[in-house]
Amino acid sequence: MSLIRIALAGEGGQGVQAVAEILTEAAYNENQQTIYIPNFGLEQRGGVSIAFIQFSDQRIGAPKFNKADVVIALSGRAVARTAGYSDENTLFVYDSGFDFDKEDLPKEAKKIIAIPAVETANRVLHPKVFNIIIMGAVIGLTNVVSFEAAKEALEHKLAYKFETNPDLRELNYKAMEIGKQMAEKSLQEEVDNNG
Amino acid sequence: MEKIIGEPKKAFMTGNETVAWACLAAGADIMFGYPITPQNEVMHYWTRLAPKYNRNFLQTEDELSAGFTTCGAVQVGKKAFTATAGPGNVLMQEPFGMAEAMRLPVLSIIQQRGGPSSGTVVYSQQEVTLTTYGGNGEGHRIVYSTASHQEIYDYVIKGFNTAWKYRFPTFILGDGYQAKMREPLEMYDPQDKGIEIIQPYPLIGIPGKIGEDREPQHLCNIYSLEEELYEVVMRVSAEYESISPEIVEFQARNCEDADIIIISHGVVSRAADDAVKILRAQGIKAGYFRPITLRPFPQQQLREVIVQSGAKCLLIAESAYGQLEKLIKQEIYGETVKIENLFMPGVGIIDFDIIKKVKSII
Repeated sequence: MSLIRIALAGEGGQGVQAVAEILTEAAYNENQQTIYIPNFGLEQRGGVSIAFIQFSDQRIGAPKFNKADVVIALSGRAVARTAGYSDENTLFVYDSGFDFDKEDLPKEAKKIIAIPAVETANRVLHPKVFNIIIMGAVIGLTNVVSFEAAKEALEHKLAYKFETNPDLRELNYKAMEIGKQMAEKSLQEEVDNNG
Repeated sequence: MEKIIGEPKKAFMTGNETVAWACLAAGADIMFGYPITPQNEVMHYWTRLAPKYNRNFLQTEDELSAGFTTCGAVQVGKKAFTATAGPGNVLMQEPFGMAEAMRLPVLSIIQQRGGPSSGTVVYSQQEVTLTTYGGNGEGHRIVYSTASHQEIYDYVIKGFNTAWKYRFPTFILGDGYQAKMREPLEMYDPQDKGIEIIQPYPLIGIPGKIGEDREPQHLCNIYSLEEELYEVVMRVSAEYESISPEIVEFQARNCEDADIIIISHGVVSRAADDAVKILRAQGIKAGYFRPITLRPFPQQQLREVIVQSGAKCLLIAESAYGQLEKLIKQEIYGETVKIENLFMPGVGIIDFDIIKKVKSII
């Protein structure tokens, strides 16, 4: 696998940094080279939080990047904040569940797709697994890690919660699965639309 | 020495966590510290680990105090360290100056943030001047600039040894990116890699009668006569210069036939390394030079690389406005090679930035 760069952005508290931690942990466990760096400016307190993630089979250079292969923006502000990371090779993904000025979408992108993660979390599962749906979606969009490795890393991260409430495990796995399918479907629809 | 890691093992963690583990493996007895981003987690991880291994921690009231308590602890033979950043590094210059004056084996981890003043909590390479030549002295310090978690681990272990062997204050110069990012590394106990750890020893209160059994210890940071101070500074300068060749470390790649040599340090050197590979693939003769020790600086080695390559140009890339450039210029005074720069104070530099700059020059 050559280098894949992902910028994952959301509101503080949506759990994007946790997703980055789990995904990179999974990649590390699969013997990939991987780097994850959060943006940790003062704005992370209540502002847009971005995780910069890179996966590769070779040693990775600089920890940050100017242009991403995949951008995932999980709020209106996150769209505006991350549009600059998109160029003609970027897959730009946003959540369809919020209103924002479509002018904020990147001018340059290979594809721009919307996924209904917020709505699915609220309607089908539970708001608190929103970020895990996103994690599943990242896997569905990029295949950067295997589903099994992601499950293991998730287990490792949330074991203490699963112990007190075993139902959470199933809920999280289901969220991942739904996220993955949602992403695959969105990519497929995009292909169909473009005929 | 106590084994901490056991069999060498791979790990995936932040740079700050790496510092804490390396200090543990190196046999550090105590950390003194005061919170400041982006080094906070050095303290967090250390305080989590230390009690399990019978090590100690003291949070002081500020960085001045953290620096001076570190100076105190090493005098009674404790392997002590501190970690700081930005304005904290500024405050610590007074104790670091004392460590220079009294030849104290203090190890400090600096995770550079943006400046001046509180700047940003994120990243920069703007503490180069401060860490190499800060204080009211002559920069009698040893500064390792790391570029990866593996190097953080390796050089923290080495840094303690350097400090206790040569008795000059020693620094591991990292930055906010290295502090906060996660990447893989291998952790090990030093003895398993054939590294002999220098055991700390008391500098004061040592047994024996002065004049009969041993020489007196002069741990002095103030002198009555200017001539006294002059003698001490001259003696220490000569000693620093004489040990420098044993300490300097650097990396040079693709320099033999280079038309342009890219010089960078720390995390930026990762981008420079990538840039050189890409430029070479495009038929541009670029070379890579990286000082690992910023103090003492690999002066001789850089001069040789310039002369042997016959390079037309040096490109100095740094996340500061010329702090590395100043060091280089003073070290290679007299060389006539052209010097260009890519100064990006307080922001990261990627291979693309360097490639673009190189193409604008040649």
